[in-house]
Amino acid sequence: MTETKVTGVLQSDWSAAIQDYPIASGWTHDGAVLVVCDSAGGLYVFDSQQGELLWSEPCAHEGGALAMSMHPVEAVFATAGQDGKILIWDLTGAHSRCCIEVGSGWVENVLWSPDGARLASSHGREIQIFGVDGAEQWRSDEHLSTVSALGWLNSNELVSTCYGRVTIFDSDTGEPNQRFEWKGSLVSLALSPDGDVIACGSQDNSVHFWRRSTGEDSMMAGYPGKPAALAFDSTGTLLATGGGETVTVWSFEGDGPEGTYPGSLELHERAISTLDFAPDGFRLASGGRDGLVLVWSLHSDGQGRPEGAAMLESVLAKVCWRPDGKSLAALDGDGVVTVWKVS
Amino acid sequence: MNAEEKVPVTILTGFLGSGKTTLLNKILSEEHGKRIAVIENEFGEVGIDQALVIEADEEIFEMSNGCICCTVRGDLIRVLGNLMKRRDKFDYVLVETTGLADPGPVAQTFFMDDEIREEFALDGIVTLVDAAHINQQLGRSDESEEQVAFADVLVLNKTDLVDDATLDDLEARLREMNRMARVVRCQQAEVPVDTVLNLSAFNLEDALERRPTFLEPEYPFEWTGVYELTPGRYQLDLADGPDPAMSLVVRSGQGPDDAGLREGAEWCVRRYAEPARPVEVDGVVETGEHAYLELSSSGRKSFYVDVTAKDSVGLFAQHTAEEFDLKLRDFEGEEVPPSAERTWVAQHEHDDEVGSIAIERDGDVDPAKLNRWLGKLLQERGVDIFRTKGIISIAGDPMRMVFQGVHMLLDAQPDRPWGDDPRQNQLVFIGRNLDEYAIREGFDACLV
Repeated sequence: MTETKVTGVLQSDWSAAIQDYPIASGWTHDGAVLVVCDSAGGLYVFDSQQGELLWSEPCAHEGGALAMSMHPVEAVFATAGQDGKILIWDLTGAHSRCCIEVGSGWVENVLWSPDGARLASSHGREIQIFGVDGAEQWRSDEHLSTVSALGWLNSNELVSTCYGRVTIFDSDTGEPNQRFEWKGSLVSLALSPDGDVIACGSQDNSVHFWRRSTGEDSMMAGYPGKPAALAFDSTGTLLATGGGETVTVWSFEGDGPEGTYPGSLELHERAISTLDFAPDGFRLASGGRDGLVLVWSLHSDGQGRPEGAAMLESVLAKVCWRPDGKSLAALDGDGVVTVWKVS
Repeated sequence: MNAEEKVPVTILTGFLGSGKTTLLNKILSEEHGKRIAVIENEFGEVGIDQALVIEADEEIFEMSNGCICCTVRGDLIRVLGNLMKRRDKFDYVLVETTGLADPGPVAQTFFMDDEIREEFALDGIVTLVDAAHINQQLGRSDESEEQVAFADVLVLNKTDLVDDATLDDLEARLREMNRMARVVRCQQAEVPVDTVLNLSAFNLEDALERRPTFLEPEYPFEWTGVYELTPGRYQLDLADGPDPAMSLVVRSGQGPDDAGLREGAEWCVRRYAEPARPVEVDGVVETGEHAYLELSSSGRKSFYVDVTAKDSVGLFAQHTAEEFDLKLRDFEGEEVPPSAERTWVAQHEHDDEVGSIAIERDGDVDPAKLNRWLGKLLQERGVDIFRTKGIISIAGDPMRMVFQGVHMLLDAQPDRPWGDDPRQNQLVFIGRNLDEYAIREGFDACLV
């Protein structure tokens, strides 16, 4: 492994290698453990102190993993993959405690509700909701096309996106409560913490967002690429968006972001591939196809400056803050997991 | 990343029952050393062996940029986006469409999505045609016509189910619709794998390296007869016909099968390009020469062909044998029947809505005028123009300019220097209800 160049607030902590391209990752709520799964279907559970590999499963999902979600309360996580299965794992051991065989196609999304009572998943055009025990609670009718993303507005409301539509479901009954239409392929989803704003990146190089309270629909066009990375800060003031080499940050302060200029964070030399806001404060981590990881300090108007940088060998698949905001994990295309302490 | 490092993708289309899965299995069994991913939208009764098969729902998305023909396949973007992440990359991707699919959105996906374009290169579109049913399908469905129109290779399958005359007629119909496509005849999808894979059909630079023109030749002869002959002098016996003269090439060592006939045809195209030698009635036609038979006198006329060793001889005639009641007789006057016959052009006109317009013009083009004309043409008619290819001689530019397009998406680039080659322009448009006269006139107005 080559040594990475690190500057600013980032301080080298540990790194480890996994077998293939990282697909998804998550920290436990106490920040003690980092779980990563990869495109070969492998699963890796690291101790967050030293980076020691606690246990791994080289092929949890035949064909590759597609999603994972850490349980918000219990020491449990769920993974999903190309084998059409959802697996629920105990953090403590390399045996899944529950296997849900959804079907023959890919299970592309899996996500615990904020209260941890339900697990939402999508398989083709269908959403299925399970309890912690893996028992199915309800499933949706077929969407217009394959479900591209899922998000929980709160523990009672689930959002799904697909081509042409955003749907909000009542998570008790499975009834659709609200719909927003947009004739475009929605490729990414971010929800404001108060649950009012639903933001989506679209294949046509735009970012769309809808305000639930007013039903208002806004569109920010003109991105050079498709905005596949989106992130809200914990207060819902700032929405960071990729879609090119620049991180574009929209501020929801006052009457914004409609009619305002966004902040432009320009240092990456290739397209932004991943974004994550620190759990508190306007601190943003960005990763790009250029292998660069940057930590930015932002103002409430969306403008900001870099305060830390690290150069990795390969395209960034994901950056992910530890829940205490004191560590940042980066997963790159070579299958290297790098963790920094952040001062 | 250059084209060599990109993973090639072949699109397999064709109606249900045309043999797509059979061809797919043949490719997979012959290319077993390679890692091939197959993306399927239709789950047929025949299983697919060995490869990684990914089932995906066909999802056609409009790009919402105001252009109704800019549609892409969302399922491919997702599936390919995921496949390209793996460390053990695939050597090849095959996309098998449903029988009723329009190949346009599939092809456009490889040009419209930046990430896909970076990692994958569309290699070619292969359309399987069921020889026994395509004639009815073409009349009835737009999709079937589009699949023919988009093809780089048309695999005319199940040739055992129809007679030769029907096949010739069918091939002529398909070629009229799509002048760019190579036609391959077969049974049970038994075609050499290299006729369908690694074509670089969308990389004009590569494709032109191997073949100097992308236009399939329009043969200057209408008919070929193959005769198994022993040594001796043979009489070519002709009645009055529609023309006072006719070109003929006699070829030695002519194979009677499809591959042999095609090879002979390519060879004879070059002979036909040479100046013809007039041959009077009762004269002798030499093997391999471009002979021009004088037929102006009335009544039956004879010419002679000398055969020195046992040979399989091909007659490549400008008109069909029927038109002149052409017969070959041995020295006893006995008629020798051909062991194989092939008609190269349509015996009657088909009025298909889908067709090809091929323009070949000497001279140079004014680039500004060409841009304006082509831009306007594609903007106004992009929905109906499926594929475009061109080699252009730009005035004052030492390089050949090549371009190709799918609907409104057009990609132009300089190719190699003209050097000593004659500077000329070739364009092909394949589309529905194209106004040939207006397109020709439009292009001519761009000439300097």
